[in-house]
Amino acid sequence: MTAPASTERARALLAKIHALPLTREVRVMNVCGGHERSISMAGLRAVLPSQITLIPGPGCPVCVCPEEDIFAAIDLSQRPEITLVTFGDMLRVPANVPKGTPRSLEAARAAGGDVRPVASPAEAVRIARQEPDREVVFFAAGFETTTAPVAAMIAEGVPTNLTLLLSGRLTWPAVTMLLNSEAAGFDALIAPGHVATIMGPEEWDFVARDHALPCAIAGFEAESLLAGLLSVLEQGLEGEARVDNCYGGVVRPEGNPTARRLLGETLNVVDAPWRGIGTIQRSGFALAPAHAGLDALSRHSIDRSQLRKRAGEMPPGCDCARVVLGRIAPDQCRLYGAACTPRSPIGPCMVSDEGACRIWWSSGIRERRGDVVDA
Amino acid sequence: MIDTPRITLAQGNGGRLTKELIDTVFLRHFGQPEDHDGLDAAALPLSPDLETVVTTDGFSVEPLEFPGGDIGSLAVHGTVNDLAVCGATPLFLTLGVMIEEGLPLDQLNRIVESLAIAAHRAGVRIVAGDTKVLPIGHGGGLYLTTTGIGQRPPSVRMGMGQIESGDVILVSGPVGDHGISVMLAREAFELSGSVRSDSGSVAPLCLPIADFDGVRFLRDPTRGGLATVAHEIAQGCGLDLILSEADIPVRDAVRSVCEILGYDPYYLACEGRVVAAVAPQIAEQVLTFWQSLPEGAGAARIGIVGDAGKARDRQVGGKVCLITALGGQRVLDPLEDDPLPRIC
Repeated sequence: MTAPASTERARALLAKIHALPLTREVRVMNVCGGHERSISMAGLRAVLPSQITLIPGPGCPVCVCPEEDIFAAIDLSQRPEITLVTFGDMLRVPANVPKGTPRSLEAARAAGGDVRPVASPAEAVRIARQEPDREVVFFAAGFETTTAPVAAMIAEGVPTNLTLLLSGRLTWPAVTMLLNSEAAGFDALIAPGHVATIMGPEEWDFVARDHALPCAIAGFEAESLLAGLLSVLEQGLEGEARVDNCYGGVVRPEGNPTARRLLGETLNVVDAPWRGIGTIQRSGFALAPAHAGLDALSRHSIDRSQLRKRAGEMPPGCDCARVVLGRIAPDQCRLYGAACTPRSPIGPCMVSDEGACRIWWSSGIRERRGDVVDA
Repeated sequence: MIDTPRITLAQGNGGRLTKELIDTVFLRHFGQPEDHDGLDAAALPLSPDLETVVTTDGFSVEPLEFPGGDIGSLAVHGTVNDLAVCGATPLFLTLGVMIEEGLPLDQLNRIVESLAIAAHRAGVRIVAGDTKVLPIGHGGGLYLTTTGIGQRPPSVRMGMGQIESGDVILVSGPVGDHGISVMLAREAFELSGSVRSDSGSVAPLCLPIADFDGVRFLRDPTRGGLATVAHEIAQGCGLDLILSEADIPVRDAVRSVCEILGYDPYYLACEGRVVAAVAPQIAEQVLTFWQSLPEGAGAARIGIVGDAGKARDRQVGGKVCLITALGGQRVLDPLEDDPLPRIC
């Protein structure tokens, strides 16, 4: 078995990048945990020219899931009639709770709650069908790619004993927020391939059109990421700004029309809170009025206004919000590798496989960097 | 749907129904023991000139049947392989069976037949067994436990402590097949794949080389995959392992599923592979031998034991470095949680 042809093509792209006449630092942000994972696992940072800085941005849906939703999930899970199902990553996300109460869904399960990890909405439906006497709550956090199957599930119709705690978010509004801020912190963007597969590459046109930044949509193999990187670097050198689709085999113009239709029919786009960051305009999915009956909080009489009081609370010292925004690198957080490790995570970025801290840790970075940046 | 007969609690009560279950399912496939004289334990004809090696393992897998195998064949191969990587010829197995009430009888029959075939092929006899039935909701359909007994020549002296700097790391075939096969069979990912589990005996790969001078250590990468075995070796011998990503065999189909779901193939379970640490002088010989066998057709040299300058430190242990296909470098960590599909 020889190295796949894609490795050979990746090596050729790397050589092309090394041949570029780069004279100053170029900061390239990605906004997908999958991208960051591929970059770290391929060891790309070490083999790129030193002028290129790759920045992990808001690409982890688990990391930005607001604390009030986690509180609500923990609360629901402690009710004897409820089975709470959620994606595995959510189980270990810690919340800043009063002493004596479970600080994560994992702790909630240990305290007797019926909490079960699922891999897909279909599994949530299956559990609800198999156990009609249980009230099943599906805590669905995710970006567009994960929310689309949830929309499909709603459109198909769900068992009456299944309700949703929906924490779906849109990726591009976070990038807009960064670009509209005083210092965006990056010179070019690698746009997420999976999101573009669903929503269409056009969604990212604003990066080039409104902000004159080079942008490329990339997939998850080193080859596709390097093609995207080469594109944005060349655009920068030529003084151009466009959105290049480097994931052409998968990302089609207009995205996936069926998925978009289902999202549009079942969910509304609303202003939504991001953990540690605050509310970002039109960045969240909420149930459309026709499906309001599926809302777990209403069904189980949880007061939204009480939850809202928790908004913005982060564990003391946790710098996940700035990591998510790409303001600091994971190993610049004071807690990285010291108080906060995958075994005893303090912030969500160290929990999720999509979280930048967890990814950096998994790739072997164990020590905090010297130049810790203060908030 | 026609309701097929299912296992009932009464079949585990030790009475007539239990005997019937044993006769019609287990003994039907395993055959009546020739020397059965009504005793509650089996006497084993072991050679006094050889060392006797024993191992035990429990098996639970969902689904019970998957492309390339089932819990029955897995329960044979898992235990046989633990003996084989110690250089012992697998001879006897005992079998503990925990059946959940409600398991379709047809399915139990298929699994026991598959177990019998795997045992026959691996050359082991099932010499003792036990059957229990658990109330519905108290078991994942079927749990199996096998204890394996084998023998090896006293000349076999493998161990992590024998590994030296400069030794070569080999793997007997592509990694991750079993993990992906089970995952695709379990989850409705809407990915159709042609990946079959590699579940099989590794005895033909191990036994002929076990007493070679220079074969330091053999291990079958099961749960936690190649990365976990590499980590165990690094920890156990106190030296770093340096693996070359470009040289680690991974099937294209496995690679594609990993790309889509965000898994790392090096952490996925194998059930019919061996990782070897061997002296550099015999690496080529072992590799050529493996490649000549059907079980080792995809064998490859994947790395070396490094850090010649560093003193061996078993307290701290070594680490596992992966030289990526593009020339970067990263650490392969021990597995923290179960791998989960990504959600972005």
